[in-house]
Amino acid sequence: MTLHQDVPRSDEQRKGPVGSPDARFASFFDDPLWALAMIRATVLEAAHPAIGAALVENSTFVAHPWRRLRNTYLSMQRMVGADAQTREREAARLNRMHARLKGTDARNRPYDAMDPGARAWVVATLFESSVTMFRLSGQPLEQEFMEELYAEFRGTLATMGDEPGQLPDTVAEFWPYYDRVVAEELENTEAMRVILYKLFDHLPAPPLLSGLPTLWATGRAVVAPVLGVIAVASLPEPFRRRAGLPELPGAHTLMQGAYLAVGLTRFLPARWIAPENVIDLLSLTPDSDSDDPRARTLAAVQARMKRAGALVRLLSPLPDAPEPAPYVYAEARPYQQDTEDFFRQVLDQTGNGSLDWPDLAAMARELASRLDLDEPAETRLYQAYADWWRELQAALDTDGDGSISAQEYAAGAPSLAGPALIRVAEVLFDATDKDGDQRIDAAEYRALFRRAFRRDASGADGTAYTRSAFVKEFVAFMAGRQRTTPFDPLLAEA
Amino acid sequence: MQHAVEEAGERRRVPRHVACVMDGNGRWAQSRAQPRTFGHSAAEASVIDVIEAARSAGVGWLSLYAFSTENWGRPSGEVDFLMRLVRRVVRKHAFFLHARGIRCRFLGVNDPRIPPELARDFEDLMTLTGDNRGMTLTVAFDHGGRADIVEAARSLLRSNTPAEAVTERTFAAHLPYPDTPDVDLVIRTSGEQRISNFMLWQVAYAEWVFPPVLWPDFRASHFLDCLHAYRQRDRRFGGVLPSEIGASRP
Repeated sequence: MTLHQDVPRSDEQRKGPVGSPDARFASFFDDPLWALAMIRATVLEAAHPAIGAALVENSTFVAHPWRRLRNTYLSMQRMVGADAQTREREAARLNRMHARLKGTDARNRPYDAMDPGARAWVVATLFESSVTMFRLSGQPLEQEFMEELYAEFRGTLATMGDEPGQLPDTVAEFWPYYDRVVAEELENTEAMRVILYKLFDHLPAPPLLSGLPTLWATGRAVVAPVLGVIAVASLPEPFRRRAGLPELPGAHTLMQGAYLAVGLTRFLPARWIAPENVIDLLSLTPDSDSDDPRARTLAAVQARMKRAGALVRLLSPLPDAPEPAPYVYAEARPYQQDTEDFFRQVLDQTGNGSLDWPDLAAMARELASRLDLDEPAETRLYQAYADWWRELQAALDTDGDGSISAQEYAAGAPSLAGPALIRVAEVLFDATDKDGDQRIDAAEYRALFRRAFRRDASGADGTAYTRSAFVKEFVAFMAGRQRTTPFDPLLAEA
Repeated sequence: MQHAVEEAGERRRVPRHVACVMDGNGRWAQSRAQPRTFGHSAAEASVIDVIEAARSAGVGWLSLYAFSTENWGRPSGEVDFLMRLVRRVVRKHAFFLHARGIRCRFLGVNDPRIPPELARDFEDLMTLTGDNRGMTLTVAFDHGGRADIVEAARSLLRSNTPAEAVTERTFAAHLPYPDTPDVDLVIRTSGEQRISNFMLWQVAYAEWVFPPVLWPDFRASHFLDCLHAYRQRDRRFGGVLPSEIGASRP
């Protein structure tokens, strides 16, 4: 067991405060096996009707999975690895975020992301998946460590402010609880089907590989079905039966082989497999940060690969037959196409094909977490977005069904920049301008856009972004008029 | 032009930017009782010959007028044929151009009637050769000089430049490929003497030669003749040569 080798065991550590940086809990999340266990845990969570409904309605993981992964990872780090203050702050943030997620599912059953049972289940799946991932990789956890781990997970739930009692007190009592929920509460939810069958088949390339669409699509076509099969095969048998999931010959062997293989990556240098490094690397784009030597190397490599691709295409022989005589006109790509792209990539954050409140809430969520906003500022931002949503609904929802379809948007898009949108821009400016000097300096800029300040940003005097320039660019971007602003990667990046 | 005096003093040198209007393919074919498309096919050899001749003569920028925005008005069969021909030629010579260190660019290429495969090949060729440092070959395809100027004006307006700030220099910065220097020499084959809406901004101070030979017969030797003719010209840019006022004499 890695943890036992890496971390010398001492009584002090074992009794160390819950989630303290030196708790083994912290290093525990760096195991590469989590890549597989995370998928499994997420499927089990999504199969819970309340969580599944909240995910399908609100989550951006279909349209922006990499951003979501990065946010989840950051949040997890704060919850387990940091000091008590950071932990409590993050718990409060998560609670505020989840308190905003409630509604009714497709069958009109209410859901609430603050539901104690559902929250306990999330922690339960994380614990159970971590136990299972070591079991499946052939290095089972020792009973003693398993109990410590369970205590740490329960501690996390307590940090989140939940009443004790939702999770059983001991590991021995945990398993009957787990089996009961699997047998009685889990369903074949839409969210689960989306994760198993849709997410990987349509997974957009991470920013790192976004310049190489062909390469990504080829790799995905091979890997996606395999990942689905592995995830299904690792689910508990009673649930697979009830949910009617397929049993493929050899799936179990494949799944165990995958866990075993990933388990072996621990012999690679630690730096290669540290999830922090992997996630940072995936989020890197060639133009992201001119100060970052990795970004420069990446840009050079990508340029080279592009040239190689161009050469291969140019040298590949043309079909002998005369090309089809009827002209295939290139689709005119003016306004219509651009509007649709903008709708799909930026506005429809949840990827369900229409613009609803959860889409705008997701934008507010992303901005708030990037800026690490605290209570009053966060509420102001959400409030501004809510006002903008009402403005949009009044202007664009012509058939009155409560959501804005792509067609309704395309028909009314030019009328988009109302006072509520300008208000959003101003609130966002105030939130970004931490020191309140009415200018966004380089550091504040980096916090929001995660890239170095560009001197050619229009309206910037070279050292800072003024309020009027910021508001103007934000409004031009959100109204779909101008895509080439720093806001584009902020909200469109996968 | 401010540089007029210095440049005139160096008039014996090779022109920096040569542009060719490739005229006469149709007449060449008709004189052989062949369809016009036959002439277009025959033009390929001239194009390659001229590219190589320009490169070895030390010309830094070569522009070829392949297809104007007005050429869409030709019979659709001929346009179709041209599109296929250009695609074949681009693919056939892509590697040769790259190996010779030639940087290729396509000027225009905005019309949706251009087949997407062809646009893709243009894009690929530009990507492939984008970092080359040898001669820059600009192929004007679906190009119109006025359209470029109008587009530059639009871009200028969009950038909210105040009227006083617009100068020849700032205006030129909004043209496509603003790094392209002014054309020094335009060669129009087949004896026709027209501009035909070709790189209107860039040809402002160009010298023109009109060899009577039709484009499919135009070869490296003709090209060198044109460079020679250029060297004989006194380029004055509207001023007076230093030699005439004795400025450069000791």
